[in-house]
This record gives sequence, structure tokens and C-alpha cells, in this order.
Amino acid sequence: MAVVKLVEKPIAGTEAVYQASEEFFGHVPNLVKALGSNKNMCNSITNFMIQSLGEGRISWAFKELIVLKTLKAMNSHYSYGAHEKIAGELGVSDEKLGDLQNSLWEQSPHFTEAEKLVFHLIRQIAIDANDVQASLWERLKEHWDYGQLIEINAVITTFLMIGRVGDALGVTDSVLFTKPLSNN
Amino acid sequence: MAHLPYVEYDDGDAVTKQIYDKTEARFQMVLNIFKITGHAPEMAEKMWEIFFDILQEGDISWYDKELLILKATKMGDCFYCVTQHEAVSARLGVTPEKQADIVGVEYQNSPHYEPNEVAMLDLCAHVVLDPENIPWETWEAVKKYYNDAQIVEIVATIGAYLQVSKFGDALGVELEDVWVGHQPVLFNAEPPTSKAAQGHFEHFISQTPNV
Repeated sequence: MAVVKLVEKPIAGTEAVYQASEEFFGHVPNLVKALGSNKNMCNSITNFMIQSLGEGRISWAFKELIVLKTLKAMNSHYSYGAHEKIAGELGVSDEKLGDLQNSLWEQSPHFTEAEKLVFHLIRQIAIDANDVQASLWERLKEHWDYGQLIEINAVITTFLMIGRVGDALGVTDSVLFTKPLSNN
Repeated sequence: MAHLPYVEYDDGDAVTKQIYDKTEARFQMVLNIFKITGHAPEMAEKMWEIFFDILQEGDISWYDKELLILKATKMGDCFYCVTQHEAVSARLGVTPEKQADIVGVEYQNSPHYEPNEVAMLDLCAHVVLDPENIPWETWEAVKKYYNDAQIVEIVATIGAYLQVSKFGDALGVELEDVWVGHQPVLFNAEPPTSKAAQGHFEHFISQTPNV
């Protein structure tokens, strides 16, 4: 049971974001409904979450790996299973998903050097964001451009926020998308 | 030096310029943390909307939100955020004594804090540290003072400032020159726990001119 009531019918000022959620996810996720009593927070957080998912400067499939690794690193539970499902639908193999756990990715043949460096960044942000070394950024820059690095850092920290908010409010979304992903 | 270059106004695209204009209108300057997001304007546009929404009166007061921001970002050792919000919260009437008592559990017994503020800050500490272990007594105390829309705003404010503080700290975003000479309150009351953050703090203090 969530801490706050899930708002099934949108209150004034949230109709458009409920509609956008319907169109993007195929339904209104429980997290959106939990935020639904607060017009401003429901609008801006949902819109940012939608922006963070889907194809962007980096592929959606890799974003899902970032989301999963971030949730794990932060000990967050909200929507973990849903993101595993999305990753699978986007073509991420079970072997790759398995190797994402703990430190297995470091030696895994399923990840590129570029991907592993991003997992290093996630791990360091979870431990101490103040202590991300310049040498790690230099190595990241060899593989990713500035826009991609901003998007990567934004996806990491967005799902750090989403995980915290979802877990604190006691929200579950075992399925995030009820429509084919290719439609997004 | 930040790990990526800042995007200055003249180098930004139309969306970036729009964000900077809005930022300038709201905060009288374009902060470095906004400038670094100019590399991905489509992401920046949606991300900053959350903060434009938070930094105003809402279902809870801006004053209360500033207390949450100070607490959450201090716990995360974000010297950049704490410095900015020591100034913003002061403008909204949070005294230096009250700011200093937000560290650790000082606020729980401080004469500067009302019971509703203590309940809100207790929740904040749990959300930052471990939302899995929020005691029911904490929720009971919060629910005594706040309705659903307000609880959403409290939790969202904490979450959003965890987001932006980690975002900026990871990128090494620096305080703007205008802050040289600022006398830190929270980090003087309780030094950073992170060694790296301690380094940032000491570097900042070393730049402060002797008066």
C-alpha cells in the first residue's frame, strides 16, 4: 500500500500529463498516480521520466542497463523488474543482464569498454559523487561525446531520484509499458 | 575545473538560450550547473522544469522546501548546493542559527524548529539514507501535519535535490565567482564526511579573503 493515495482520475492541471503517460506507457503508471495529488510535481517529474526513456543520444537499450545498474547501486527497488523486462524487449540478452550484477560486468565479455566505463561512473556516484576522478572522465570522453555524457549522467541521477521517490512512497510498477516499445 | 566545458549563452542553441533566459529571470544569473547541461538541451529543458517548480511557493512553503534542500544536500556532502541554498534560504528568513542546527540530529532538540519541521526533516534523513527503513512512527508524525499533496512535494523535493546534487558533483561543477567570500554555515557546523568533499571545502575556504 502506497503512503499516499493513488490518484486514478487526474486533478485539474494534470490531465495532459496523464494523457502523455497513456500515450507513452500505454497506461498511467502507479508512480504517476502517486504523484497525482500534486500538480507541479506530477507534471515535471513525469515529463522528465518520459524524456529519460526512449531513444536519445544513447540507445534506449543501453539506457535501460544504466537504469538497472543505478537502481542496484543505490539499493532501490522501484520498477527494477519492469526495467529488466524493457531491457529484454529491447534485445538485451539474459547473459548481459546477469553480468550486470555486482562486479561481474568488470570481466564480462558482453560489455564494451565504453559501457564498462559508464558502470564505473555509476558505482562511483553511488559511493561518493564528489570523488569521480578526472581520469575516469578522460576515459569516458574517448568513447562518448559531451551531449551523450550529459545524457548518461542525467539518466543515472534521474533514476537515483525515481528509485528514492518510488521506494519512499511505497509505489510498485511491475510493468511500466503495456504497449509495444517500438511505438515510442 | 569542471570535467566538461560550460556552454555559454552565445554558443547555445535556441532551447538552451530559452532555458538560460528563464534561469536569469528567476535567479538573476545563469549558474554553472545550468551551463553544463547546454550540451543536451532536450534533457536540460525537462530536468530544469522540476527545479523551477520546486523553487517557489507550492503545496508546502518555499521556506520548508529550503529546509529539505539544505538537509538532503548536506547529507550528500554537496558543497555547491548547500552554498547556494544557504543564501536562498536566508533570503526567505531562515536564520544562520537555524541553518546550523539542521546538521545531524541537532534540529530535533533545537529551539529554532517547530514539530512539523522536525517530522519533515526526520523523513528527509530516512529518504536520503535508506527509504526501505522508514519507521512507521516517522510517517505518522509527517501525516499529522501534512496531506498527500504536501507529502508528495516533500519526497519529490528530497529526490530532486539528490538528483541534481549528484549530477553536479559528479561533473565537478564549480561554485561561481560570486560566492568567493561567502561564510559557510552548515559545513562549519559539521565538516563533510567525504574526503573529496572536504578537499572542495578547504579549497573554497582558502580562496576566502581575510577580513
